[in-house]
Amino acid sequence: MTDLLTPKRLTMRIILSLAVLAAVMLVCSLVGTQKVSLKAVFAGPGNEPGQNTDYEILVRVRLPRVILAALVGAALASCGVVLQAILRNPLADPYILGVSSGAGLGATIALLSGITWSFWGGSPIALFAFAGAITTVWLVWCIGYFTGKLQVTNLLLAGVVVNAFFTAVIMFLMSIAKSEELRSTVLWLMGSIAEKETAVLTASAGCILTGIAALFSICYRLNILTLGEEEAKALGVDTTKTRVVAFGFAAFVTAIAVSLSGLIGFVGLIIPHGVRLVSGPDHRQLMPLSAVIGAAFLVIADTIARIIIAPAQLPVGVITAMVGGPFFLILLAKHTRKVGWLK
Amino acid sequence: MNAVIEVENLSFSYTPQRTILKDLSFEVRRGGFLAIAGPNGAGKTTLLNLLCGLLRPKSGSIKIDAAPVESYSSRKLAQKVAVVRQEFVPVFGFTVAEIVSMARMPYLGLFGFESETDKEFVSEALEETDTAQFASRPLYQLSGGERQRVFIARALAQNTAILLLDEPTSLLDLKYQVGIYDLLKTAQLKKGKTILAVTHDINLAAQYCNEILLLDTDGSYHIGKTKDVLSPEQIEKVFSVRIFAGSLGQEKFFIPLGKFAKDSYLTANEPDSSEQKKS
Repeated sequence: MTDLLTPKRLTMRIILSLAVLAAVMLVCSLVGTQKVSLKAVFAGPGNEPGQNTDYEILVRVRLPRVILAALVGAALASCGVVLQAILRNPLADPYILGVSSGAGLGATIALLSGITWSFWGGSPIALFAFAGAITTVWLVWCIGYFTGKLQVTNLLLAGVVVNAFFTAVIMFLMSIAKSEELRSTVLWLMGSIAEKETAVLTASAGCILTGIAALFSICYRLNILTLGEEEAKALGVDTTKTRVVAFGFAAFVTAIAVSLSGLIGFVGLIIPHGVRLVSGPDHRQLMPLSAVIGAAFLVIADTIARIIIAPAQLPVGVITAMVGGPFFLILLAKHTRKVGWLK
Repeated sequence: MNAVIEVENLSFSYTPQRTILKDLSFEVRRGGFLAIAGPNGAGKTTLLNLLCGLLRPKSGSIKIDAAPVESYSSRKLAQKVAVVRQEFVPVFGFTVAEIVSMARMPYLGLFGFESETDKEFVSEALEETDTAQFASRPLYQLSGGERQRVFIARALAQNTAILLLDEPTSLLDLKYQVGIYDLLKTAQLKKGKTILAVTHDINLAAQYCNEILLLDTDGSYHIGKTKDVLSPEQIEKVFSVRIFAGSLGQEKFFIPLGKFAKDSYLTANEPDSSEQKKS
């Protein structure tokens, strides 16, 4: 009986992982082609803008980027956990219900139509991607609801069909696009972390953290929902309400992450599995730890993307798959015993 | 009145063409052990789903503790009724202790952290079902019989007055079948639980249950004390199969006989009995 999760143990683990994340963020913001001295940074910005270069680079350039990477990583990993739980499917990731193709279509339309206006510091691409993602999830949701009262299989199939359809539309648009537009679209679809305005960053941080907190509040119900619909109902869980909250917030958080960074694969699938191998399947622990580890992972991946072929930069999605894949395989080999449920 | 479950004129159908349950009325007294038997498609599992509020009756009513099932919130109902279903596939490697502690869900707050009382219920259920030895092992590592004991432990940890079970022994060997029914009988006698078990095993029902509800596919039913309802004629009629009945002390037993049964008395007039003898 000693192995049941207690609030004290959970709090300790979250604090510990947050400390690791803070250290990773600090180290990564110091790394780069331009050396930055912490001592110089602590001296402050100086009297005129641009006087203290080290401060400018760290606080105005690198830190916002590191924070953005952390937010996107946390969003994707925590939504991956939630979708794997409600769909009772280890292959689920945040993009499974159409967010990716919806956001991709939105961004492609914005890029190809050459819209230049901006809204509240946000680029039209992000807004189009967000609108596309939310519309697609809503569409998948409606199809799932009208064909089978939100049964897992119907939702998954609706997601697959809508994804395939929108991907075809994206390919059609790309095939008639000019070459420079095509390149920017392809790069967006690969996913990358680029500097954002402070206002955009603050607003996104607020939305993502609120979403993650809302998802955390249903984590115990997610544990029970993994037993199946009938079992969960018999234990007094309002399964429809739990699903609505889970899908709604997961879609919202993923849509924000995608509109900020494009389609970064792998984080939402692999981080939940990796953390589950080490921490066990209890979602009250798995979800917050995945969020923190996902954040640290994307910060590291983005730092590698930033410096590996400097001064040029790689799309971060390339790094997440190249580094994350082998790392996950090592973890899997070490803990094979624990994944008997995959059989 | 000491009835904890009251079913009155209950009818249910999945499609308008075919009614599964028709004007079913019965009561289960507190601390009773009722078997629900009948051929496939007679509506046994449907009745169980109606009793735990998963389905709504087309007409008639079901009362639990004198209040209609639909008047309970799902949480309140889960404090009164625990359900053990036929085996489900576990996902994500939860341990036995974690699965059993999920039974405390109807009593817990938002984040589901167990109090000392909750942990005591869980420990007690693990001890009673002899599953404490597996507590920290993932459920998928256990055999079918061990898993079934874990599910019964979960139902006991839920601390409800009523236990509903859907074929609790269908996948188990003889030793585990008897073991599971021993466990249920102990819960009935020692803790005063009211138990309703859907079963295909009329011999176990005859041995352990006080009463039996025999459902037929045409919507008719028989309810009463097991020794009154379970007669060879009744079973032959409901299941459309020949039965050999016997008794061992006070226990009655029934053996279904197929067309290849090698009993000379019963198969003497069968056309292929001579072939059987030759071979």
